Amino acid sequence: MFKKILFATTSSPACDNAAKVAFDLELKWDAKLMVFHVLGVPTRGYSSFVTDVRTGETESIDPDYVEWVTEEMKYTYENLLKDSENSTLEAVIGVPHREILRKARKENVDMIIMGAHTRDEDIGATRYRSVVGSTMQKVAKSARCPVIIVSRPCTTCWKLFSNIVICTDFTKASNSAFLWAAKLSKEVNARLHIFHAVDINAGEPGKVSGQSEIEGRINEAKGRIETMYIPELKDFDNYEVGTREGTPYVEILKFAREKQADLIVMAHHTREIDPELALLGSTVEQVVLRSACPVTSVNHPDKVADE
Amino acid sequence: MPEGILCNKQVVDTKEKLNALLADKSGKQYYDEMTRLDVDTEALWATIEKTCKSRLRTWLEICAHCGMCADSCFIYLANKRDPKQVPSYKIQSTLGEIVKRKGKVDNEFMRYVMDTAWAKCTCCNRCATYCPFGIDMGVMFGYVRGLCFSHGFVPWELKIGSGMHRIYKAQMDITTEDWVDTCEWMVEEYEEDWPGLEIPVDKENADIIYTVNAREPKHYPEDLAEAAILFHIAGENWTVPSQGWEETSLAMFAGDWGACKLQVESVYAAMDRLKPKRMVVTECGHAYRATVLEGPYWAGIKSGKTPIESFHYVEWVAEALRTGKLKIDPAKKIKEPVTYQDSCNYIRNGGLGDYAREIMSYIAEDFREMKPCREHNFCCGGGGGLNGIGRYRKERNIGLTVKRDQILATGAKLVVTPCHNCWDAIRDLEEVYKIGIRWSFLKPLLLGMVEVPEHLLPREE
Amino acid sequence: MYELVTGPLAWLSFGIFFFGLFYRLVWYIRGLNWQMDRVSYTQNMVYGIKGALRSILFWLVPFGTRSWRYYPGFTILVFIFHICLLATPVFLMGHNVLLLERWGFSLPTLPEGIADFMTTCVIVSAVFIICRRIALPEVRILTKPYDLFVLAIAVAPFITGFFAFHQVGSYDFWIIAHVLCGEIMLVAIPFTKLSHFLLFFLSRAQMGMDYGIKRGGMKNKGMAW
Repeated sequence: MFKKILFATTSSPACDNAAKVAFDLELKWDAKLMVFHVLGVPTRGYSSFVTDVRTGETESIDPDYVEWVTEEMKYTYENLLKDSENSTLEAVIGVPHREILRKARKENVDMIIMGAHTRDEDIGATRYRSVVGSTMQKVAKSARCPVIIVSRPCTTCWKLFSNIVICTDFTKASNSAFLWAAKLSKEVNARLHIFHAVDINAGEPGKVSGQSEIEGRINEAKGRIETMYIPELKDFDNYEVGTREGTPYVEILKFAREKQADLIVMAHHTREIDPELALLGSTVEQVVLRSACPVTSVNHPDKVADE
Repeated sequence: MPEGILCNKQVVDTKEKLNALLADKSGKQYYDEMTRLDVDTEALWATIEKTCKSRLRTWLEICAHCGMCADSCFIYLANKRDPKQVPSYKIQSTLGEIVKRKGKVDNEFMRYVMDTAWAKCTCCNRCATYCPFGIDMGVMFGYVRGLCFSHGFVPWELKIGSGMHRIYKAQMDITTEDWVDTCEWMVEEYEEDWPGLEIPVDKENADIIYTVNAREPKHYPEDLAEAAILFHIAGENWTVPSQGWEETSLAMFAGDWGACKLQVESVYAAMDRLKPKRMVVTECGHAYRATVLEGPYWAGIKSGKTPIESFHYVEWVAEALRTGKLKIDPAKKIKEPVTYQDSCNYIRNGGLGDYAREIMSYIAEDFREMKPCREHNFCCGGGGGLNGIGRYRKERNIGLTVKRDQILATGAKLVVTPCHNCWDAIRDLEEVYKIGIRWSFLKPLLLGMVEVPEHLLPREE
Repeated sequence: MYELVTGPLAWLSFGIFFFGLFYRLVWYIRGLNWQMDRVSYTQNMVYGIKGALRSILFWLVPFGTRSWRYYPGFTILVFIFHICLLATPVFLMGHNVLLLERWGFSLPTLPEGIADFMTTCVIVSAVFIICRRIALPEVRILTKPYDLFVLAIAVAPFITGFFAFHQVGSYDFWIIAHVLCGEIMLVAIPFTKLSHFLLFFLSRAQMGMDYGIKRGGMKNKGMAW
């Protein structure tokens, strides 16, 4: 299922949890792991200067500098690299999301793993979050493969996952997310929780939906899940369906916690909000920042269907 | 030492030479070798005798030393009115001296000339509009750059840049395959949101051939996608050439006229090959100047015009808005105060000031002019290659203060910057001086406010 | 002596003046090169001429350009200096009397008082120009002895003429000095910076053609000087 994994790292402690997952997947799935770091954002016009992704400082770029960063990566992942069998390290210059997408496309990877930041007290957290937050959103929106975001320590090995929550909003992208989640559930034999949250704030602003209307929408969602998703599962019966009403990201998090989810899978709600304007605005990012388990964003059908 | 390994009078025309230069950390060895580079005074004088003709000689000779050019120069103003930054002084103490001494100048002098030609002049040509005789120090420094380049006295980054043009016909190492692949990639990435979106490569007889700045495919391909989407919305029949797509010319900044010619000829060849009706150039200032204004002369086209009519992006946008090909949603117009950075290369030296105003009248509710503006606007501070030269970073940052104060005086927090170099300079001035502004190309702004025709929207299932 | 300076020397200096300027004109135009200057002079002649005329006319009008408006004091100085310097000798009564005696025709003349005032204007504005050269650092750094020398050549005929007219000391001395100075100026025009007498127009025309043809003149209403 995962033959080629791209671990996009900032090469800083913020990505440590993601690193563990990435290297673990490499071993357990016999995958090829590409550890990839975008170190500096170049200028729009001609110059050899880049803005360092981590510090925000302007650096003059040359092969030595790139080499030095690669060396530093080796040092950062020393312990993990010891057991690694099939991994490469690479540092490049560019706009982070762009280069991650470029690499993923070029190598035709099966998944992208990224870290996320959750502790405000760390130095540079604000800057970090704004850069990584928008990078994560842009990568999640455009990547052809699933994007796994790991922000907190993931204690369970992927092979041992027992609960996977797939959150759907019935879009085309959600369909891809569902297919991927189902595939993974079958492969590791985890319980698949198919979940939909009715957004009570949706619709006309200021208009509070009545109880009966909400119930109607919940029933409608249940019906759609039955017709859209259940037939796809065929003989796989280790699943359940859940629906709630409220603010989607809150309900998703509550549901995942209740079900002791090891992984949340969802589609990036593409038309939801402009990632440039609202860095913490999307449901995906809210879930990512608060979730105890890793979150996978799937938006495209490319790496979902069985080969 | 007559010639260095890296710093010499040769042009960079092989990948080996280019890589050797790139491997040199910040040009350390290169600049070290430069201190020992011999000046071929005879060749220098021979070149001057052949190329420094009546126009330049007259400018040097009749300069009344009146100092009216002083305040026209933003670098002079930014450096607390240092008399050594008066344009006339700068040119008289460099080209003037070389001519007076009949080319008999030494290495140290040539390095002074180089530092002056690249760090004290961005070739914005503003002084020419303030001199009663019309003496254009920018043109003269362009000429001086050519002299410096042919004698090996050129900033490291620009030696690399001109080499890139010679080898890749682009300012960066992008091959034809890379470029075509990037076009495909961008379609893949955006076609879901824009059904039917395409970036037609090498389509013959299109209405528009679109050419770009290599930094777009290299680092910012969204820019290409945005252009494609806007053409798509406007319903244009357009194409990009697989070869000859690069508009920029670091060779022009470097004074490498041979490379300039090679570069523009690649674009003109694409015009001949694909027979489009007209060319539209991306939001880049020097690219337009190099390929549209100066290029025909390098290529020896007597009419002084590109083989097909060429337009800067602002001309196309103004036309699209005027004719209704692009319609702005009135509710999405820019409400906050916004100002426009006039690029020297296509406003003062291309006469496109009206088009910029026309665009702003469609998209902004509170448009504020900088003072001065249009043909008389100050350079952003990073023109003429200055943004890209590490050796002159300090000088560049001082120069930015003039633009900073101009922007602050408008009270606008958003600066429209349809020029890659201006965009960078203004980004950098925000990073250095932190005045709390944002800046943007036109494309993303337009995408945020155009009305999308119903039939172009993705169908929800 | 008077005969010599107003006879053969005058012929000689006028000859050098006209021939020199003619040479300058030919040299300037022949030295233009469409490809090296990157202006297609002949191919887009109409735009070129339009640009050239605009470029010259705007700059001939006091405060006609942004630059003239930017330095109002100096602009006034420059225009007074140049107008008086050019108009006074041409329309001076004494000169026209000579013209009438020798060649049988004359131009309209200025009343003596006005001519005297204009002469004073040339001298006074020259003094101010020198003061400006010394006072302003950005002009001081540009100033060379040559600049003062050229200014002296231009103003000397006015000083000597002024003294002759007011008969300060020996009239004969001042009048000969005046004629000599005038002749020196005429001879100096083609050979020195004073060649801007002609080259101002050529250089302005060239820059105007540049703007009229290449730098936007074909796409806008003309450069806003």
